[in-house]
Amino acid sequence: MKAPLLLAAPLLLIACTAPEARETTPPAASAGEVNVYSHRHYDSDKILFARFTELTGIQVNLLSAGDDDLLARIEAEGANTPGDVLITADAGRLGSAKQRGLFQNVTSEVLNTNIPADRRDPDGAWFGFSMRARVFAYNKEKVKPEELRDYADITLPKFKGRVLARSSEHVYNQSLVASFIAHDGQAAAQQWCSGVVRNFARDPKGSDTDQMLAIAEGIGDVAIVNSYYAGKLLSSDDPAKAEARRLIAVAFPDNKGHGTHVNVSGGGVIQHAKNKANAIKLLEFLSSDEAQRVFAENNLEFPVKPGVPAAAILQGFGTFKADTLDLSLLSTNNAEAVKTLTAAGWR
Amino acid sequence: MHLLRKVPIALTALLMLAPIIAVVLAPLHTPAPEWDFVRSALLPGHLIETARLVLVSALLAIVLGSSTAWLVTSARFPGRDLFRWALMLPLALPTYIGSITFAALLGPTGSLSRMLRSSTGIGIDILTPDGLAITFGLLLYPYVYLPARAVFSNGMSDLLEAARTLGASPARRARRVAFPMARPAIAGGALLVAMEALNDYGAVQYYGVHTLTAGLFKAWGGLYDTGSALRIAGILLLIVLVLAWGEERSRGRASRTSTSPPLRPARLHGWRALTASIWCTLVLGIAFVLPFGTLVIDTVQVAGTTVWSELTGPLLNTLKLAGGSALLTLLIALLFAFAQRNGQARLVKLTSIGYAVPGAVIAMGVMGLAGTFADRTQWILIGTVPLVMYAFAVRFLAMATNPLNAGLATQPRTLDDSARLLGASRIRTFLHINLPLLRPSLVAASAIVLIEVMKELPLTLILRPFGMDTLSTHVFYMARIEQWREAAPPALLIVLCSLLPVLLLERWLQPGRK
Repeated sequence: MKAPLLLAAPLLLIACTAPEARETTPPAASAGEVNVYSHRHYDSDKILFARFTELTGIQVNLLSAGDDDLLARIEAEGANTPGDVLITADAGRLGSAKQRGLFQNVTSEVLNTNIPADRRDPDGAWFGFSMRARVFAYNKEKVKPEELRDYADITLPKFKGRVLARSSEHVYNQSLVASFIAHDGQAAAQQWCSGVVRNFARDPKGSDTDQMLAIAEGIGDVAIVNSYYAGKLLSSDDPAKAEARRLIAVAFPDNKGHGTHVNVSGGGVIQHAKNKANAIKLLEFLSSDEAQRVFAENNLEFPVKPGVPAAAILQGFGTFKADTLDLSLLSTNNAEAVKTLTAAGWR
Repeated sequence: MHLLRKVPIALTALLMLAPIIAVVLAPLHTPAPEWDFVRSALLPGHLIETARLVLVSALLAIVLGSSTAWLVTSARFPGRDLFRWALMLPLALPTYIGSITFAALLGPTGSLSRMLRSSTGIGIDILTPDGLAITFGLLLYPYVYLPARAVFSNGMSDLLEAARTLGASPARRARRVAFPMARPAIAGGALLVAMEALNDYGAVQYYGVHTLTAGLFKAWGGLYDTGSALRIAGILLLIVLVLAWGEERSRGRASRTSTSPPLRPARLHGWRALTASIWCTLVLGIAFVLPFGTLVIDTVQVAGTTVWSELTGPLLNTLKLAGGSALLTLLIALLFAFAQRNGQARLVKLTSIGYAVPGAVIAMGVMGLAGTFADRTQWILIGTVPLVMYAFAVRFLAMATNPLNAGLATQPRTLDDSARLLGASRIRTFLHINLPLLRPSLVAASAIVLIEVMKELPLTLILRPFGMDTLSTHVFYMARIEQWREAAPPALLIVLCSLLPVLLLERWLQPGRK
């Protein structure tokens, strides 16, 4: 390699990066744009953003990453953030973002009408759009639905060696336990965690889907899973999952009268948003009947807007009463939940 | 003149270290409210599982990597010409994709496990801490294989020849000459395996193994305690420094510039040849053909429903990002190689710890710096491609400096001295004497950085600009929503893109080319 070539290299480097550098500030359409940071990366969301652009002319620029990544990035960007909207799939993270001052409060008649008060932040920092329930998937040949009426049922001695769950590192297990702490205190939550650990069929490992596949393999009989993954599995055409589809049914456990634990996907307007009006328009659109139907049908989530039906496959699981716990408590109790799970030996 | 040369190098080294320094210093001003819990309830268990994972995966990588490297360099047997390059192929499999594929085959509900259980009643489950260590050993052994092969084939033929004329058997020559001499190279490779096992998060989470990195993310995302997470990052760095120090010591004693001719392999016959072939087939078959074949089958199954045009953007982004980052990393590595050759080694050597830091932690450091920079200057770097490339350079510099330094080490100092005596400056000497001789190492360094960047996930995910998806982020989305089969096409593309650099590496390793 010769020296001149070496000197040319940095120029080459700049040349090949320049086009992307421009991409960071995409050309604004006539109606402007809105920059969305999202933890969600689903076809449903892509469909919704495209439809929003079609309706309003507002261009949606999307950046998907992990939720903690996005919170850290917005924090580091501070007043210079290009982001207008943050969407995550966990109310705990939404609460945490609010605590860290990453959201601004929004007052919108449309949002307040479409979204029930217990599915959004009382100050308007964030709004829930769709829900997932923490349910039981069970082997219908070995377990009767009436044996699974309450979360506490799987701690009974008859389920020893039959219970499956993913690791406690996952936020959906954490927020489930955070909800128990919020309702009945740490001691009760601790008792439940220990009871579940005592009944585990194996050490927690793998994903929610893996827990259901393990039921089909006879490794266990009841799994704690997310309704979304249960719906996906039961409507999948993957031949490897045929046995699981044949054997598995879903039960909505109650929590001593509080209802089934739900977590929400939702979003808010970022504190330093440059396109605040467009951001609010996008949130309002996501709460509309049309958008809520897409969440339900394309992504098998429960819509938050009353009157919009869930997907048929989820309706097939039966009706349920969703926990109406103040969702901000999921965030304030999350650390305590992690400690409780760890103390119980839930890997 | 002296300062003019040293200051820019020192500044570049500081720039490379800055995000890591930021991470190390951050705990001093970040409260860690849950530290007591982290220290008493998380750390002990996580330390033990980390030690076990690192130890077992590094040992397995050493066994697989050095045994196959020795076979293909010292012997001729059926399939040897194929194995020589094919044994590098697991490099092309990103760890998270490889380990999840192994889980899909050999996990408790894996397809092979199910077949085995229904036919023989034996249940296997790779989704355990030791199962993950085995997975890492299988996927990462090329990091040992590469340097071991380079040393076996080019660094010791004279000594092995001497041992042979003294009547030492092949086994004795391997035990008494080849492996002791290759120990620094093997240790260097094992260090990379250890670092990779330390910084992994995706596979660790899926297998449910409590490593320090898993603890770091639990503190960060579960306890909302950034301070404790940063402290764990500090412990990780400390462990790596200790490991690197040990490796450095073992290397220092064995340094030797070699001008010996390439090793001439001996032909194996009968059961020996058969054993060699079977061993290499097993290693290659389990570590690469099995997961790769699974990706191919899954891709075929979902090919009809895959929107291939959606993958062209990510494909181009991946190539551009990898090309640009490799170029930047290589330039910096060259600068540092020059510095090390000319007695400015201390600060420069430290820059290689970036490889041990989990990508997400480097991203935190990089974002913190860029955020502060933007507050002062209004110059926004977060979300720009140059910042992503800078972060890659921080993380993968070691991968480029290792082959360059290894290459330089084989160039006798007398070369430089002669040029200097003739009046050439240090820079001129480096550009006209050292650099041309370094070309094969440059190819190897760029190949390995290309592969690493194409596989990389966490840095890309956090730092990239709006709308810029890569193949690995694409795999990530699919995998996160547990659509493994749909993740196969982009994963397969990553592997295919890495094949060309792997073949470049093979050219570097060809006897006589170095």
